[in-house]
Amino acid sequence: MSLRVRLLGTIIGAIVLFFLISVIAARLVLQHDLLALGETEVTNGAGAFGGYWDSHKDQIKLLVSQDAVSDSLRKNLESKNVGAMRKQLANIARTSGLSFLTIVDGSGKVVARANGPQPGTLAQNSLVKRALTGETVSTATLLGPVVLAGEGLVSQAQADIKGPDGKSVAQTNQGLALVAAAPISDQNERTIGAIYGGILLNHEFTTNGYYDLIDQAAHSLGGASAILEGNAIVASTIMRDDGTRAVDVQVPAADAVLKNGQPYTGPDTEGGTQYLVHIDPVQSDQNKTIGARWYGVPMTQITSIINHTTQTLVLWGLLAMVIALALAIPIVQAISNTLAKRSQQVRAAAKELGVVIVGAEVSGDHIAQTKAAVEKSGALIAEIQAGAPSPKMSELRAVNDELEGDVIVIDTLSQEMSGRMQQAVHRVAELNDVAGGLNELVTGEKN
Amino acid sequence: MADVVLFFASNADTMIATKALKDSGITAKMIPKPANVTSSANLCLSIDAGAVGPAKSALGTAGIALGGVV
Repeated sequence: MSLRVRLLGTIIGAIVLFFLISVIAARLVLQHDLLALGETEVTNGAGAFGGYWDSHKDQIKLLVSQDAVSDSLRKNLESKNVGAMRKQLANIARTSGLSFLTIVDGSGKVVARANGPQPGTLAQNSLVKRALTGETVSTATLLGPVVLAGEGLVSQAQADIKGPDGKSVAQTNQGLALVAAAPISDQNERTIGAIYGGILLNHEFTTNGYYDLIDQAAHSLGGASAILEGNAIVASTIMRDDGTRAVDVQVPAADAVLKNGQPYTGPDTEGGTQYLVHIDPVQSDQNKTIGARWYGVPMTQITSIINHTTQTLVLWGLLAMVIALALAIPIVQAISNTLAKRSQQVRAAAKELGVVIVGAEVSGDHIAQTKAAVEKSGALIAEIQAGAPSPKMSELRAVNDELEGDVIVIDTLSQEMSGRMQQAVHRVAELNDVAGGLNELVTGEKN
Repeated sequence: MADVVLFFASNADTMIATKALKDSGITAKMIPKPANVTSSANLCLSIDAGAVGPAKSALGTAGIALGGVV
């Protein structure tokens, strides 16, 4: 692998690693912080939803209280004019959006209903009992089958409850309602009866178009809202994929709320959508948890921010990588070219030195041969002069001696250089190795 | 004027001194070490006796240690 590839690979690897770690860290931090923010948001939203709930409860209480002091109703009750009372109650219920409105006499026996002529008694109804003692009460309550039948609301409350898997798990014949009861007094302030009315929340939007509570909350707060009877949704703005509202389904997350009476904040999947929800318990006037208020925001509101941020980081990361590569490639190219050039220079120099070394070795051998010849010549001159001395031979011997001295000098120098050349041989071998390594590093090619 | 012999600590110094003297314009002949010279080098330099002063100066400038003059 060449130096160029290694350097570029290292740069790309560093950038990729940097952005991977950045993206993972950003996702983790965003997930933690946005989830915390979302929990705060749904908790606040649920608080506002609770405000709507209380407001409606107070509104019903006000309506019933006003009806209780109506002169015409009182007079009709005193005169037992059932027809007039029924007509008046029907008008009030229709204009006020009440599901039912009923007048009982002092014994709790039903005198007139807004919804029809059904007889009956509410003597055992705890709220009516309290009203007959002079108290005006309002609360959330469960309406039993008998009460619902009397008010003609059985079909609205009956439902086949499905589990999270879509299978039927239970049937309900009760109804969750916001109700109020107030005493009706004669002119002497004696309680002669009571008026009892309220809104049945089960499937309310499907019967008479009463959307106020859950729809107002959802419109004002965003997200989705629902009302639970027990752990089952009986009214909601949660939309299924097919465009219908998710109702009559169990919410397992509400089980703990019903059991402990404590709110729940966390994830919940309804209608095929995952929500971050806050579930508050709904309690009766006896402080018994009978249902819950569910408020949630789609988890996609949170995950979309996380995903969008992640995508943005990745896109900017890719852009940074392209810019970094655009800057790095010429630099790496220049470094590689310089190194390759130096490597070639070193190899060329090493090659030249190799020639010099060989030349020096050959020259040394030749000088040694010359020295031997001169010494042999000196010996022959000495032998001839010993047999027949002459001035010319003496002169020849002097010249030969000088020549021998020069040859000795040359031979000594040659030996000196030879020793140094041996050291140079090692150096050149090292230079060759270095040059080869450089060449392999830069080009990726072995010798 | 007679020649004198300059000797050095090593043959390498002798070679470098030859070059330094040549660059200074002083003629020096490299010769085998005479018998009366005690040195670890096998080579010496022979120069004119009148050039000893300039030779020492040139060697000092070149940073070459002179072993002795005979």
